[in-house]
Amino acid sequence: MNTQSRPRTEPLLEIRNLTIRYREGDRHVTAVRDVSFSLKPDGALAIVGESGSGKSSVAGAILDFLGPASEITGTILFEGQNLAELTPVQRRNILGRRIGAVFQDPFTALNPALRVGRQIAEPMVQHLGLTLADALGRAEAALREMGIDRTAEVARAYPHQLSGGMKQRALIAAALACEPPLLILDEPTTALDVTVEAQILRLLSRLRADKGIALLFISHNLGVVRRLCDDVAVMYASQLVEFGNVRHVLEQPAHPYSKGLLASRPPLAATSRNSRLAAIDGQMPISAEPDAGCVFAPRCPFREPSCSAGPQPLTIIPGGRTVRCWKAGEVGPWPRQQVTAAAPPTFHRGDALVNATRLSKTFDASRGLTDWRLSVTGGRPQVYRRPSRVPAVNDVSFSISPGEVLGLVGESGCGKSTLGRLLLQLLRQSGGSVEFDGADLARLPAQALSPFRKQAQIVFQNVGSSLNPRLSVGEALDRPLALFSLAKPRDRTRRVEALLDMVRLPAAYRTRFPHQLSGGERQRVAIARALATEPRFIVCDEPVSALDVSVQATIVNLLADLRDAFGLSYLFISHDLAVVAQLSDRVAVMYRGRICEIGTAAEVLAPPHHPYTQMLLTSAADDEPVTGPAVSDIGHGARTGCVFAARCPHKLGTVCDTTPPPLRTPSTTHAIACHLDTLPDTAVPPVRADPYPQRAAI
Amino acid sequence: MIGYVVQRLVSVVVIIVAMSILVFLATHALPSNAAALILGQYSTPEMQAALEHKLGFDQPLPLQYWHWASHMLQGDMGQSFEMERPVAPILWDALGRSAILALSAMAVVSTLGLALGVIAAVWRGRWPDHAASIATYFGVSLPEFYWGLVLILTFASTFHLLPSTGYAGLSDGVGAFLSHLVLPVATLTLTLLAHVARLTRSSMVEALESMYVKVARARGLPERLVIVRHALRNALIPSITVLAQDFGFLIGGIVAVETVFAYPGLGRMLVGALERQDLPLMQAAILVLTGVYCLANLTADLLYGVVNPRIRYGGSIG
Amino acid sequence: MALVVGGALVVVLIVVAALAQWIAPYPYDQMHIRDRFLPPSLHYLAGTDEYGRDVFSRLLFGSQLSLALGMTATLISMGIGVPLGLLAGYRRGATDEVIMRTLDVMMAFPPIMLVLLILAVTPPSLMKTAIAIGVLAVAPIARVTRSVTLDLMSGEFIEAARARGERLRYLLVRELLPNVWPVLMVEASLRVVFAVLLGAVLSFLGFGVQPPAADWGLMISNGRAFVDTAPWISLAPGIAMSITVIGISLVGDGLREVLDPKLGSRR
Repeated sequence: MNTQSRPRTEPLLEIRNLTIRYREGDRHVTAVRDVSFSLKPDGALAIVGESGSGKSSVAGAILDFLGPASEITGTILFEGQNLAELTPVQRRNILGRRIGAVFQDPFTALNPALRVGRQIAEPMVQHLGLTLADALGRAEAALREMGIDRTAEVARAYPHQLSGGMKQRALIAAALACEPPLLILDEPTTALDVTVEAQILRLLSRLRADKGIALLFISHNLGVVRRLCDDVAVMYASQLVEFGNVRHVLEQPAHPYSKGLLASRPPLAATSRNSRLAAIDGQMPISAEPDAGCVFAPRCPFREPSCSAGPQPLTIIPGGRTVRCWKAGEVGPWPRQQVTAAAPPTFHRGDALVNATRLSKTFDASRGLTDWRLSVTGGRPQVYRRPSRVPAVNDVSFSISPGEVLGLVGESGCGKSTLGRLLLQLLRQSGGSVEFDGADLARLPAQALSPFRKQAQIVFQNVGSSLNPRLSVGEALDRPLALFSLAKPRDRTRRVEALLDMVRLPAAYRTRFPHQLSGGERQRVAIARALATEPRFIVCDEPVSALDVSVQATIVNLLADLRDAFGLSYLFISHDLAVVAQLSDRVAVMYRGRICEIGTAAEVLAPPHHPYTQMLLTSAADDEPVTGPAVSDIGHGARTGCVFAARCPHKLGTVCDTTPPPLRTPSTTHAIACHLDTLPDTAVPPVRADPYPQRAAI
Repeated sequence: MIGYVVQRLVSVVVIIVAMSILVFLATHALPSNAAALILGQYSTPEMQAALEHKLGFDQPLPLQYWHWASHMLQGDMGQSFEMERPVAPILWDALGRSAILALSAMAVVSTLGLALGVIAAVWRGRWPDHAASIATYFGVSLPEFYWGLVLILTFASTFHLLPSTGYAGLSDGVGAFLSHLVLPVATLTLTLLAHVARLTRSSMVEALESMYVKVARARGLPERLVIVRHALRNALIPSITVLAQDFGFLIGGIVAVETVFAYPGLGRMLVGALERQDLPLMQAAILVLTGVYCLANLTADLLYGVVNPRIRYGGSIG
Repeated sequence: MALVVGGALVVVLIVVAALAQWIAPYPYDQMHIRDRFLPPSLHYLAGTDEYGRDVFSRLLFGSQLSLALGMTATLISMGIGVPLGLLAGYRRGATDEVIMRTLDVMMAFPPIMLVLLILAVTPPSLMKTAIAIGVLAVAPIARVTRSVTLDLMSGEFIEAARARGERLRYLLVRELLPNVWPVLMVEASLRVVFAVLLGAVLSFLGFGVQPPAADWGLMISNGRAFVDTAPWISLAPGIAMSITVIGISLVGDGLREVLDPKLGSRR
């Protein structure tokens, strides 16, 4: 237990005027400018901001992570001691013993050549003087606290044998090994599935309550932060722009940037086709000049000339919050986007553009001799073949009408990306058929595929690699035009510029290369490239998942505008239910290769019918989730029964394991694959805090 | 793991068979008249034809291959054309002597090369790194035989410290035995050392700059522990592959070094056989040397499988 | 920095090799019987050999042979290896297996054995040596190309191209190859070095170029017998070789430095 005897009112961690600069060649980049805050011994502070805001650098400075190219000025006081004044040995003793840290990527944070238990035990041996055997015992106990049942196995395992969620739990156990009073977490759940994320957050919340640890939680995800932390500091372009109690800030943001950030999150509910997310124009500047004026002013809808007159100081507004905006008390809610109301189209199932019938795909990895396994059972060795894998996509059927958006939501590994690729015939299905405009694609001769390819395109998730790094934007956009002879050579430049205009990029970007563009800009180019062939159908495979929240909103709006302008249909794939709900007319929920539920967005979300849909909704919402049983991260799906049976909190019994669930259809558009008649706990579903509260504007 | 081992073993068998076919075909493409070579310049065509029939050269190739291969497997490597003695005993003797050179060189290279690479990585950017970098640059820029000559010039001719050629068995005394070994082994080591040191350095640097090392430091572990237990363990895994590859270069080096130092090993024997087109000796020597390389690779692969947890423990727990 | 120094050296080498006939003080095979075994002097910058030939001139002519060998062998190996690697990396499946297994067999030979096998059974010449070394280097080049290709394939711009229905040739040549070049350039510099060194070993053993050609390896071999009395005959070619190899290596290292940051997220 915590043995420190300092009074609980003095701050555990105090940061005063922290400024961090990096030397890059002969330039200096200021990552953090004059940031100050403090953290109480049992408090939980979140630092929130988008990429480039400097939030990770703050943690890096405390942990001495930043490397020789950094210059740190200001004071970091931990338990009253100035960290910069300590000798390296003293500093090292504090790290690990008094401060624990968990980082974003569990896949690289564990040493692949050491057993997991050893890595958890090491700090204990080093700092607490335990023997290795004792430390390993405590490590296993720590793993059990993290909610892992097979602790001995996991402790003896190597990192590559564990799933992402397990790895992160092990990392948290390692960080808490010496029971430090402060735990720093840098985006710990960003790389994890949303249900796993919910479990980890629950775990952290419990640990905080049980052990009284202080948390410093760095994230870009405002919803996550609300569940776990007391206070929040919002950072923008290296500066602190708002600080206060987390609920107050999230419900009544004071700084325009906070307002914009909150307003740009899609509400977790079905929305009309005409609604657009509130978005922040432009992007965060890389090098800010705060002496010239408010750094956010260029993007602020409330700006006035005096905002750019000089540096903006932090002011304290009633309620104990600090804001870096002189207008904080007078500014209203973030402006909504207005779109001219158009009559929403009705979709008839008969005139489907894309029709998938009983699609299946099993990946047969080239199986050589590595598939043989040796087992010694009853003292006699046996050699056998590893059983073949479960299909990635299993008997999936649906259709998409012209102009319709079908959202496909599910966690990683459920097969949604595979499904998208099957529709475009980038992969050959193992069973079933795909029809486009009435023609069965598998039966088409090779020449006839070309017109199909022109009409069906794809936009990917990974903005770093979806554009050829050696082709300029203009070249990348020119190629589809040339390939399909869509314009004469002399007209192509104008067409390329028109495409750039469609995605709201300046024509001058024609000569730029991908590494010169930001993530959002690259994604726009990828969308422009998809539009170049004048398609009717686009598969959007997690197009916004890798982008910051405010950039996400602009891309989602762009996709909606293009849909309306050109009558496009989309298959919109994402793990984020809110984003899917924003854009989609119908939603399909996928789990382990099967569609659990499909219906209009309104039908699927409110109230949720399938247990998995409910689990996704509650994980994504901001309030405490419905508690389910402690589940291991990878459920072993039964072969014949419901794929979700192993994780289902409402499992009926063996019928769920043995019999495939029937398809219930409460309406012509809604289908649910479940043995249950109605889902218990279908109370009013949790909905995200409305960014436009009915209460008086601030 | 089992699957990995089985796969490797099968590969080795396939490769040895493929190699033997290649060796056989290549040597039988010789335009020379083997019979004339054996019988001398005064032989008549009839005598040559008779000998060819006796040696089986007029039979179809696949059959000849079969004879040759089956004899090989039984340890009978045929009769040397030139020396008119069975090949097998001379070959094994020569192999033994070459093995002494090879193993000594590998031992030095493994220890010294890895150590140099690690030191260069840990002190990267500072003088040990630069010194090592310059030394290795020169090391790889010249072939072994050149270094051999330089060493002979220095130690044998100028300072008369060590003998320049030949071999002395253990029966002649340990001192003589060792003194004949020093220069050849040193020569072999020089070029390989540079290669191993450079590659070890880069894999060690990669380990030192990895996230898990940073995390280990953030847990307050002392630097020495971080280097040895965290970084080194990961850096050594690819080093095994490097050393295996170097064994191949070593075999090439042995051929050149034995020639320079007139060391009676298998490499020198091979060169002689090639010059005189002594068919059976050629075939046997090439096959044996290649077989040794194959085995070395197999050993390295198996070692790699044991040391790399991803292969040793394939599956996943959950 | 390394690029500049190395590049300068290489340029000098190429110029010297191209203009050897005009720069060299004496023809490479001209014997001065009365001036045998002379140490380096103003007349004979690197001394004379056992036939009274000017070692320095022979060095200059030798550079022609070495560079020609290095470049030819590398061009051959890349001409065969790169397409193989691209194909194996793009196609995967059966094509990949077949190619890789064949390469594995080739790589199972110790490098020198394969070359000796080829050279020993036919009369040696410069071209044959270049071809032999080129064939030997196909396997490593194909492997490197393949692994870079595999890396690139995980990037979605290839899938985007396939979604347009692009043909295999376009994908390999216009999408993949431009991204593979940088790594290949670095690898090529290594291959040239390897070829020069291996060529020297072969000549030394008597399987490469034949006398009276002024090949560096051959010169070292000839000078062996006289290493006590006239060491410059063997030492001089070594220095020349060293300069060549270091120059090319510097170019390779320099390229790697330049290209790595630009490739950005690759590491």
